[in-house]
Amino acid sequence: MADVNITLDGKKLTAPAGTLLIEACKNAGIEVPSFCYYPGFSLQGACRMCLVKIEKVPKLQTACTTVIGEGMIVTTDSPEIHQARKSMVELLLGNHPLDCPVCDAGGECELQDMTFAYGAAESKYIDIKNHREEQQWSPVVYFDRPRCILCYRCVRVCGEGMDVWALGIQNRGVASVIAPNKEDHLECEECGMCIDICPVGALTSGAYRYKTRPWEMKHIDTTCTHCGDGCRTTLGVRRADTGIEIVRGDNRDKSGINGDFLCIKGRYAFDFVDNEQRIKQPLIRKDGRLTPSSWEEAFELIGRRFAEICGREGGRAIGVIGSSKTSNEENYLLQKFARVVLGTNNIDHHRTGDFPAFARALAGKLDATASMRDVFKAPAMLVIGNDPTNQHPLLAWQIRNNVRLHRSRLYVINSQPIKLRRQATAFAHIPAGSEAKLVALLAGDDSVLDVLVSENTPREALLSLRDRLRGEQNLVIIFGAELRGEEMARLVKVGSAVSGAKFVCLGDYANSRGAADMGLYPDLLPGYLPVTQGKTFREEWGGLPDAPGLTIPQMVDAAKAGQLKALYVVGANPVARFNIDPFAFAKSFVVMQDMFLTETALIADVVLPGANAYEKSGTFTNTCGDLQLLRKAGEVTGTKPDFEIIVRIAERMGFDVRKLVPFGGGMWADMGQSRGAQSGEADRHSVWLEAHGLETKLSPFDPMAILDEIQRLVPGYHVSRRTLLSGTDQHTRIGGPGILHNPELIVPANDDLFTSGTLGRYSRALNSVLENQRRKPVETEVAAD
Amino acid sequence: MCILRDIAAIAKGMSVTFREMFRPTIVENYPKGPGPLRGARFEERYRGVHVLQRDENGLEKCVACFLCAAACPSNCIYIEAAENTAEHRVSGAERYAQVYNIDYNRCIFCGYCVEACPTDAITHGHGFELATFNVSNLIYRKEQLLAPRPAHLGANAVFNRAEVEGGAPPVVAPGE
Ligand code: SF4
Ligand code: SF4
Ligand code: SF4
Ligand code: SF4
Ligand code: SF4
Ligand code: FES
Repeated sequence: MADVNITLDGKKLTAPAGTLLIEACKNAGIEVPSFCYYPGFSLQGACRMCLVKIEKVPKLQTACTTVIGEGMIVTTDSPEIHQARKSMVELLLGNHPLDCPVCDAGGECELQDMTFAYGAAESKYIDIKNHREEQQWSPVVYFDRPRCILCYRCVRVCGEGMDVWALGIQNRGVASVIAPNKEDHLECEECGMCIDICPVGALTSGAYRYKTRPWEMKHIDTTCTHCGDGCRTTLGVRRADTGIEIVRGDNRDKSGINGDFLCIKGRYAFDFVDNEQRIKQPLIRKDGRLTPSSWEEAFELIGRRFAEICGREGGRAIGVIGSSKTSNEENYLLQKFARVVLGTNNIDHHRTGDFPAFARALAGKLDATASMRDVFKAPAMLVIGNDPTNQHPLLAWQIRNNVRLHRSRLYVINSQPIKLRRQATAFAHIPAGSEAKLVALLAGDDSVLDVLVSENTPREALLSLRDRLRGEQNLVIIFGAELRGEEMARLVKVGSAVSGAKFVCLGDYANSRGAADMGLYPDLLPGYLPVTQGKTFREEWGGLPDAPGLTIPQMVDAAKAGQLKALYVVGANPVARFNIDPFAFAKSFVVMQDMFLTETALIADVVLPGANAYEKSGTFTNTCGDLQLLRKAGEVTGTKPDFEIIVRIAERMGFDVRKLVPFGGGMWADMGQSRGAQSGEADRHSVWLEAHGLETKLSPFDPMAILDEIQRLVPGYHVSRRTLLSGTDQHTRIGGPGILHNPELIVPANDDLFTSGTLGRYSRALNSVLENQRRKPVETEVAAD
Repeated sequence: MCILRDIAAIAKGMSVTFREMFRPTIVENYPKGPGPLRGARFEERYRGVHVLQRDENGLEKCVACFLCAAACPSNCIYIEAAENTAEHRVSGAERYAQVYNIDYNRCIFCGYCVEACPTDAITHGHGFELATFNVSNLIYRKEQLLAPRPAHLGANAVFNRAEVEGGAPPVVAPGE
């Protein structure tokens, strides 16, 4: 767009035509206060805090609703403006309670800041304040009406951002109040976006309210552990008797891939962490009972039994099941442990997306995967299958807001009337299970039309959809687990005909993609390299078993036949997920590490208390392939990270841990001591080393030591360590030849907004919302699992 | 001459001694003095062991705002907040301090906490005999810091509940 010349506080600037004055000020480093203006939402002009003086305009103008014009001369601060803003704050305080000491927003409240900035602390009104009792709108949302300053941010984020429209405004003028659109309660997605965006303490969260104050917590950015989208969530933690307690989840710094967004799970469902059912001591089955024991005894037993079985029958007799919720480093380490220490390829995990087929379909194509940020920018999007609103809330947010803010075109093809159809340019409602037929149609096969048409979706609609898609450019194609194997390959082929097309293959758990990338497959090494190949890994690790191993169902059969003598389950619950007959493993030695006594504990001989993603450092790869950092936030005494447990078991088996984790490497450097007392030298030195991945890894329990190896050996993971450590997401390329698997092996998680596999069962916040919904008569149909 | 000068000098010196001997003492005879304070005397604004005050209804004034902890230069105040409920009401506002500790190993009696408190909940009392043989005794818990319940609410054995319900006697609570 053409540039416009303006003068801001005497500074001559140019900015693209159409820029809002408040944004132009912000870009020029001039702060204009605002309550109701929020970037990305409709303009309100309600609070009048952003008043500025524009030359030749008699009255002060609101910067948030004024578009810059050629030659505009603007003053953003003068005694007149200061006085006007001060009066605005005074008016807001007219009916505001003196609540700061108990208010949850105290310390991070925009109204407090403005009151200080404009010195409007004394009240000129003598009338009695209009007090209203606090209301609870849902298990997680509370509203304290006197504190509300009517900025309408909550109404807009809920409606425009979330497309939920659960909040509204009642009455007019001074009598206006924010209220739920359904009587006295919210029927919504409970995302808590309204609470986060509220500039004051009017909306408070059930999980955090009145617990502590913002400055009393440490704030740790990490990655959400609930779905495959990988939102950045900031956990507020404080010391507690049991270790380090997580008290709050939010997204304070909005620099993550999720921007303003977090769903209920990222914001509130951290509370499985201190569930009282958490195991905090190793348990060993003695006389049929799981009995508390020491770590020493447990490691001793596991090391001895594993070494015995390996020695007698070879690695073939041991199976390993990994997790889609453990970090990349742990997954890589686990498969290395299985292949190198146990000498077996019997390793698998709960697959929720067909990533090996995806890698195969994309082999040789560069830049063919879209990152989560790309989805927000794409000019056109095609979503086949899945229900992002429920299963990939962040993805749905990106799609919705891309449509709203960038007028992107959205094409939705689904067997259910999913909610995203409301944003769709075209929605094709197809019969269940006919996604493959649809791909055939897109490929030009008109014979499948008969199967696809229905009364909702006539023939012409499908044909015009195909034509429109063919005319698109830079299309992002997103598909769920409905498309697997050959069908997916076909879609990629058809899609690639669109110039600049990029793909997203959806997997359900937080690190489903990472588990696949790290080679938790019986026939694939990290980077989707078939075990029969993998020369680099053979050289690096000094030999590997050649034959592909057993998948989970095959492990069950082998156990029934008495061939699988031991099973090692890390952070997974296969018994519940695959409906395994618990007696299948009656004769096998089963070791499991997890947070809770899940169904799998029924068959376990040793249960080790593991840590979750919020209690360890490492990296996660989201479903789009964005690599992000996990930072350790909480800690529960008595548990250990899975990484450490694996290393310790290897050590007990008599394996040289140096061969497993290349620790102790890096650069032994003079950390600045010889440079005399130049303060900061040592610091700068170690920052540089860390950024380049050269810092000394002194312990075999340091996940960064394995990350070095991953970045060296796994294609697509050569991203900048410096950027990664700074907390920025990095897109990885899906690499390797890939392979075709039996599509039956993929079992979608089918979680919705309020469930999260086994983890969700132990979250009080999620359970309270579910229970609350059960109590209410269901009016709208809930999408089937 | 020389002797006379010396005698004069001694006499001058001794005169000060004798004059002072008959003046009233200024130094307190603590701890051998009379009364419950054993001779100690306080200025009104003496900053001693803290007292967490109650309001006229006997509820705790502290609303667990953490401002005292934020103001404290020696970082010796530890608070855990909790929410009041209709069944369990401890303070007058939404929130109360479920745990409130002051670590007297570290407190420097600067009074910043008292100044920071928006509800006048934390105040300096006159307690000063803190010495102990065990440092862990120096971490005072809320129960040790709280002011007694006002007498009309039953802290004083003389006034029992029945009398209170029959109309509170006009007694000023200690410390009010
Ligand atoms: S909303 Fe802000 S100004 Fe109002 S009581 Fe809370 S902290 Fe104080
Ligand atoms: S509740 Fe908060 S976000 Fe909503 S209008 Fe009031 S102050 Fe604004
Ligand atoms: S969308 Fe997914 S990653 Fe983001 S907060 Fe929700 S569950 Fe977590
Ligand atoms: S008197 Fe000073 S050092 Fe002692 S608790 Fe108060 S603020 Fe802290
Ligand atoms: S004593 Fe006063 S300043 Fe300290 S937490 Fe209680 S109310 Fe706040
Ligand atoms: S920010 Fe401009 S009127 Fe509210």
